[in-house]
Amino acid sequence: MNREKRIFDTQSIVLCALFAALSTIGAYIKIPISYVPITMQLTFTTLAGLLLGSCKGAISVSIYIIAGLIGLPVFTNGGGFGYVLQPTFGYILGFVAGAFVAGLIVGKRKEVSYSRYLLASFGSIAACYTLGTIYFHIIMNLYLGNNMSLWKILMLCVIPFIPGDVIMSLLASWVAKKIKYHLPL
Amino acid sequence: MNISIGQYVPGESIFHRSDPRTKLTMTFAYMVIVLLINNFVGYAIAMFFLILAIVSSRVGIRMVLRSLRPIVFLIIFTVILNIFLYQGETLLLSIGFIDIYKEGILFSIQMILRILLLVAGASLLTYTTTSIMLTDGLERIMSPLSVIGFPAHDIAMMISIALRFIPTFAEETERIMRAQASRGADFDSKKLREKIRSFIPVLVPLFIGAFRRATDLATAMEARCYRGGKNRTRYRVLQFSKADIVLTSFFIVFGVLVILSRIFF
Repeated sequence: MNREKRIFDTQSIVLCALFAALSTIGAYIKIPISYVPITMQLTFTTLAGLLLGSCKGAISVSIYIIAGLIGLPVFTNGGGFGYVLQPTFGYILGFVAGAFVAGLIVGKRKEVSYSRYLLASFGSIAACYTLGTIYFHIIMNLYLGNNMSLWKILMLCVIPFIPGDVIMSLLASWVAKKIKYHLPL
Repeated sequence: MNISIGQYVPGESIFHRSDPRTKLTMTFAYMVIVLLINNFVGYAIAMFFLILAIVSSRVGIRMVLRSLRPIVFLIIFTVILNIFLYQGETLLLSIGFIDIYKEGILFSIQMILRILLLVAGASLLTYTTTSIMLTDGLERIMSPLSVIGFPAHDIAMMISIALRFIPTFAEETERIMRAQASRGADFDSKKLREKIRSFIPVLVPLFIGAFRRATDLATAMEARCYRGGKNRTRYRVLQFSKADIVLTSFFIVFGVLVILSRIFF
């Protein structure tokens, strides 16, 4: 048998694709908590990292973003290249970093405790916020010409979402713990 | 849950007939050119070409306006911040601690034009190209990179599979939520704890179902001897046509005019 070396085997291609599809669905499941309605998106992208590992998780979320950028309608409010210039696009990029960090913290362990999943989810949120805030700052100051201080950006884009995202991490870790053994890898 | 997949408007215009590779490249170049514009002459040129493109693509002005709806908030936000915070020379109005300058207003108008041009122009790509064509075009554009080991085919394959499964998963999520509601899950509970907990019995079956599908699909693909992009032939072969030449020449004229406007005005 001469089998060529492939970067992805068929199983990984399909799994990454399905998690990309699930990330899209996540954006549409909304839970109205207090004033800021939160979506399941971050939960789903974190789960991609928790379950598929750092590389495949990040690739799966990148697939979602590439699809959105070339204009396939996967983002909640339209897609297309123009989306890059929305100040909040950085938080979508942050999902990739988030999935990567989550996968990194979980590592290649066979047995993963709930607390490690939780730690990984929090790491994922932190990565997402960091990248998102930097991007927001760059777009606001360089492209739109508004001078917004870092504190204002945090007040607007990060702090209102922290409680919701923490709750969602609890959920993500719990689900990851439950379904880890069903993963066909 | 209402997910509208595909914004494609069927038609026979020059935009519909041209190759997705041409359109993807031009959309990208268009964005760069629009960002280069720095005066009103340039914006007028861009507006003229955009309107020309919208009319010749025959997707209808209403569709293009619809693509602008999500950015209304962004525009308003930018305008307010710019008008109130811009420090210019010609003072027009001063109310309390707010000073409005002429330069601030001009700057805001430029910003609105820029956002409008970018979003409306990019929306034409989606309206005149089907998802399959876009994915095919993307794969072909990226394929030169596979020399250095970039998995162009795999990525295009993942996008195609993801697109095919989005409606399936949307339907499945809805079905699971109904099934769990009929077993007493309380998604509208007042208690936060209950509300969050009620989602665990939705996510677990959703993901396990997804895993099962993944195994099935991968087995089916391997059974048909799928082994990545190498030597794979295609049903639809992309080809450049006259439409691409016409479109590209118009685009070059546009680019040159914008650069000239930057130099002379």
